Amino acid sequence: MKLTTHRSIAQYLRLVAGLCALLALSMVNAATPEAGTQSAIAIVVHKDAPVDNLSLQELRNIFMANKQFWSDRTRIILLVRAPQSDERDFVLNRIYQMDEGQFRQYWIGKMFRAEVPRGPKIVFSTDMAVDLVVAIPGSISFIRAADVTDDVKLVRVDGKLPIDEGYPLK
Amino acid sequence: MGFGDITYVTRDQNDQGGFVIGQAVAHMSAYLGPRLSVFGEFSLTARDTQYSSEVERLIVKYDFSDQFKLSAGRYHTPIGYWNSAFHHGAWLQTTVSRPEMIKFGSKIVPIHFVGALLEGNIPGNSLGLSYMAGIGNGRHANIARSGDAGDINGDNAWMMQLNAAPDRYFGLHAGVGFYTDEISPSDRPDIREKTVSAHVAWTKESPEIIFEYLYSNHEFVADSSISGDTNAWYVQFAYRLKGKNRNWKPYARLESTDVDDTDPLLADQNLDYDAGILGVRWDFNPYAALKGEYRNEEFNNGGRENNFRVQVSFVLAKL
Repeated sequence: MKLTTHRSIAQYLRLVAGLCALLALSMVNAATPEAGTQSAIAIVVHKDAPVDNLSLQELRNIFMANKQFWSDRTRIILLVRAPQSDERDFVLNRIYQMDEGQFRQYWIGKMFRAEVPRGPKIVFSTDMAVDLVVAIPGSISFIRAADVTDDVKLVRVDGKLPIDEGYPLK
Repeated sequence: MGFGDITYVTRDQNDQGGFVIGQAVAHMSAYLGPRLSVFGEFSLTARDTQYSSEVERLIVKYDFSDQFKLSAGRYHTPIGYWNSAFHHGAWLQTTVSRPEMIKFGSKIVPIHFVGALLEGNIPGNSLGLSYMAGIGNGRHANIARSGDAGDINGDNAWMMQLNAAPDRYFGLHAGVGFYTDEISPSDRPDIREKTVSAHVAWTKESPEIIFEYLYSNHEFVADSSISGDTNAWYVQFAYRLKGKNRNWKPYARLESTDVDDTDPLLADQNLDYDAGILGVRWDFNPYAALKGEYRNEEFNNGGRENNFRVQVSFVLAKL
């Protein structure tokens, strides 16, 4: 009985030590500016889209299809990553403030209310997202900041780029 | 895409009940061009001896911009919240059935509307304002139906609704609406109808709160001294549980409909109603839900009735 208790305490101490090591490692990573940029989500649009900056609320309205046209009256084409990607989880959590079930129900309801004929286009990789944003006028999507290329336009959010302090999609 | 449901009902005051095949609803939508789209909704509803088919909605819409979207066709009348939010999809709504005041076939609210609608966002504000304005055929001589084959008295119905979804309170929806028509029922002189609605809804599911109120005034066109009011409301509260229990969503609803004895259109239709509802929804599958619901209802001040319903509802869609 005593032996078992000692073994439990040792296991507990090892667990605490491991957690402390993980915490220290994550703090070191978070303190590195490059790591912060890489973990940020960038909003990218087709090169010709007449937009350079969006407030977080404008972005939310676009992603929820409450705003469906750019200022030049081009229709906005929303590209969303397929389930089980970190980028999608981040956007659902931060922009939609929904989980997968609520997201699904939201779009089914949106189509059923005749507010949109179809839901967002689903993309299955970062490369596919970039390729389609390049190819489709009016398109908008989200990728990791580190994956942004010169072929797409990077949009400021609340006046900030992913490298800036206080960027809202980090 | 489509919806369907099967409900089991048992009542303590009579033997009416058993398994009920709910509506089977098919839905289509497509872009006909960059700005032109078409939407259709068709239903099959179980009747005593057969199924009845219905074109529930058929809408052709042209989007000029976010501010101006013009459409024509057959709609669910944009009065209040529920009639515009959930339509025929039992799976979309938390509860087994719609509130009594806006049930399908309701005589209190014209559920359908045939005509043209202009809608859009009102830019430059943080209230998330949007509008809807419509003109079209009024009710049919059978007042539970819209004038699908034309306005029967040449006096168009028209409506306006103003909605808000404030940026600061993401998930909050509120709105007010107005609807007016001149009705020519088959069994009485022409009646003028004016309806005002108001709603507030908190659509995040933990909690979900929906309150809707409707006031309607009816008076004979030839003698406005004969008039009466109808007041109807419901409040629904639901809460989706958190964590590993998040597929469960208990709910409750209170409802009331009160028709003046002097209302020339509705007084003899036995529409007074009170109800308290308790239930729970279980989303056992991403595209299907099982709901159990206890209802304590009183129809037309005729004594209270208890009934219990179990419903499985589903959506045919992949997203």
